[in-house]
Amino acid sequence: MKLLLTDDLRRSRGTVFFRAIFALPFLIWLAVWAVAAFFVAFVNWVATLFEGRSPTPLHDFLARFVRYATQVYAYLNLAAEPLPTFDGKPGYPVDVEIEPPVAQNRWTVAFRLVLALPALVLATVLVGSGNFVFDSVRSSGRLGFAVLGLAAMFGWFYAMFKARMDRGLRDLIAYALSYAAQTWGYLLLVTDIYPDSDPLTAIGPLPTRSDPVRMEVTDELRRSRLTVLFRLALAFPHLVWLTLWGVLALFAAVFNWVVVLVAGVSPQWLHRFLSRYVRYQLHVSAFLYLVGNPFPGFVGAPGTYPIELHVAGPERPNRWAVFFRLVLAVPALMLAGAFGSALLVVAVLGWFAALFTGQMPLGLRNLGAFALRYIAQAYAYTLLVTGAYPYSGPCLEQ
Amino acid sequence: MSERARSLARPATLALIVGAALWAWAAVALWQSTELPSLDLPHLDPHSFFSDSFLHRSATYERFLAILGVLGLVTVVAVLVVYARHGHRLVRESAAGRVGTGMLLAMLGFAVVWLAEVPFGLVALWWQRRYGVSHQGYLTHLLDSFLGLGSQFVFLCLGIGIAMGLAGVMRRWWWLAVVPAFVGLAALFSFVSPYLIPDTSAIDNPTLVAEARALERIEGAPHARLREQEVHRFTDAPNAEALGLGPTSTVVLWDTLLRDGFSREEIRLVLAHEVGHLAHHDPLKRLGWLALFLLPAWGLVALFTRRRGGFAQPESVPIAILVLVAFQLLATPLLNVTSRRQEASADWAALQATHEPATEKAVMRKLATKSLSDPDPPFWAYALYENHPTIMQRIEMADAWEAQRP
Repeated sequence: MKLLLTDDLRRSRGTVFFRAIFALPFLIWLAVWAVAAFFVAFVNWVATLFEGRSPTPLHDFLARFVRYATQVYAYLNLAAEPLPTFDGKPGYPVDVEIEPPVAQNRWTVAFRLVLALPALVLATVLVGSGNFVFDSVRSSGRLGFAVLGLAAMFGWFYAMFKARMDRGLRDLIAYALSYAAQTWGYLLLVTDIYPDSDPLTAIGPLPTRSDPVRMEVTDELRRSRLTVLFRLALAFPHLVWLTLWGVLALFAAVFNWVVVLVAGVSPQWLHRFLSRYVRYQLHVSAFLYLVGNPFPGFVGAPGTYPIELHVAGPERPNRWAVFFRLVLAVPALMLAGAFGSALLVVAVLGWFAALFTGQMPLGLRNLGAFALRYIAQAYAYTLLVTGAYPYSGPCLEQ
Repeated sequence: MSERARSLARPATLALIVGAALWAWAAVALWQSTELPSLDLPHLDPHSFFSDSFLHRSATYERFLAILGVLGLVTVVAVLVVYARHGHRLVRESAAGRVGTGMLLAMLGFAVVWLAEVPFGLVALWWQRRYGVSHQGYLTHLLDSFLGLGSQFVFLCLGIGIAMGLAGVMRRWWWLAVVPAFVGLAALFSFVSPYLIPDTSAIDNPTLVAEARALERIEGAPHARLREQEVHRFTDAPNAEALGLGPTSTVVLWDTLLRDGFSREEIRLVLAHEVGHLAHHDPLKRLGWLALFLLPAWGLVALFTRRRGGFAQPESVPIAILVLVAFQLLATPLLNVTSRRQEASADWAALQATHEPATEKAVMRKLATKSLSDPDPPFWAYALYENHPTIMQRIEMADAWEAQRP
């Protein structure tokens, strides 16, 4: 299964404004289709268990259901502009390419629901219900929002102002939908390939960026089982030190804010101190969440860790953007919070995988690195280390 | 031996002899600072105070735990020997530089020890639950123990950071500088420790508070905070402790003591014992003993880590941990001797302050019954584990006090 993305980012303000209402008939039709898909999936499960392969009519029906759901949620969450059709035909700007049925291992078919559970958990933090309005009512701020819901909400405001979708947000939504489609495809026996959470391969060609705060990953995926087993306890000293450093960084950031407002630029020493703090926070998080293997140092020194943060020197930012930095940072920090939830799931799933295999799965590692990069950029932006707004989509680093 | 080596060895040997003499002098002075009248304790028969069934039950209970403890110690040493041989390979799992890598290796050493101790801890808990001494669940025990390991790592990193930092700066005699640094840290910890105990609240019983103040006056102790700790969810065993330094001096009484069948006089006697500790400055003396024992311990670390490039190198940390743990195991019986003397002295002070030997005997009987302590354990268990006099020794002291009363 592969997501095909041909959307051109252009949006009509009118359809964006009424997007949720326009999507309503499609959602109702999707619900009806889902009831049918539930029964078909059960029949398909029994048939595949007996025949070792999904019967073509059932496979096609379920494949079409997965494709239609992806199209509807892409439309609802602003990843695509045109109205989808009601029949899940291919050709939509955010579409799923699905292979014809192939022979499947009967054991994996028999235990498919259990095997799909980890992927379903990850899909839940990435996509939620797929409906931001529903998620906001359900969670009431208790559990926070899924990545997709927040990206759609911020995308809505962006599109209303600019009449086009932000590339990062669109790609993030497309990535989440791609993972959800793979998960449902796997669960419904449309494919026997386990969902791949790697954001670098999910949506086709990615932009190559050179942000002032960028991350470099040279991690080799090998994990020491002993340090994995005790990862949380081993991170305790770092977490205590990070908290103490964080208190100091908070005062430094306030001082930095005043200095930049007056002088127009951060002093080198202050910029260096805050950069180190952001880098150290990244190193510790990478270690704690199993995105990196080695035990990190305590000073956030550059060039010491396989998940590395490169920070450019101090810039001369727009004073208005500096004055309102805290307000401007709110969306980025909210999205960073949602990425944090995904990171937690990555850590839990990665912990089991690394403990058994001695390796971190590439997809999980890359998703973790993606989340960490966004969180680091959001902190750097908030602490005035950079004036560049965090880039929310998956990308290649120059 | 070359002439030059001989000329270097002489002052070093001389320094060592002088150091050993000073150490012995300090140990004697510290020992004598805890006053205890030379009593000829009468030998009392435990059967006169406890039923046969209790003596059998408590002996069975404690014997099992003591044997389990010895097996646990042997396992820990075996695990640390293996870790000392192979642990240095884990250097590759660190990107934290010299000191940070040392911290990682130290933490992993303790993590491996924790892992080896888990089965023993669970069996001990099963035994305690079987005898109704503990109510803690197995999962809670594991979780608490794991979180405790995390907090332990924080202090371990601090200690290793200081020691390796000093070893990197001072070449030969770094271990002499480590001791005051560690004693300073221990003093700081002792100072703040009353605030680190979970589930405590101020004792609001005005009678008990007034009695504590009166006992402080009688025994010449500093003004102490009185706290109650809630432990009844985990255990029925009663207990109390005196901790803190100077302005943070605190007496903590377990709620199992305050609300579980102890009379006012009995609680007062326990309070008098703890106030006695504060009057004798026992928390400070414990620091003194710590300093005396740390000195040879770190000296041995310096000696044994030479073949891996000295303690400044992270590869030597697994050996250092083995040396420190082994030294601690060997020193524990000696430290128990000093602790038992302090406890006996506090018992004596309590008797002098309350003039109630009968209450002392009653308290000891209750303590033994509720904690299922063997009143007269075998000598090996006594030497290895007991940091208090045995229940019978404490009853005998009450008897001796009564006998010498004019």
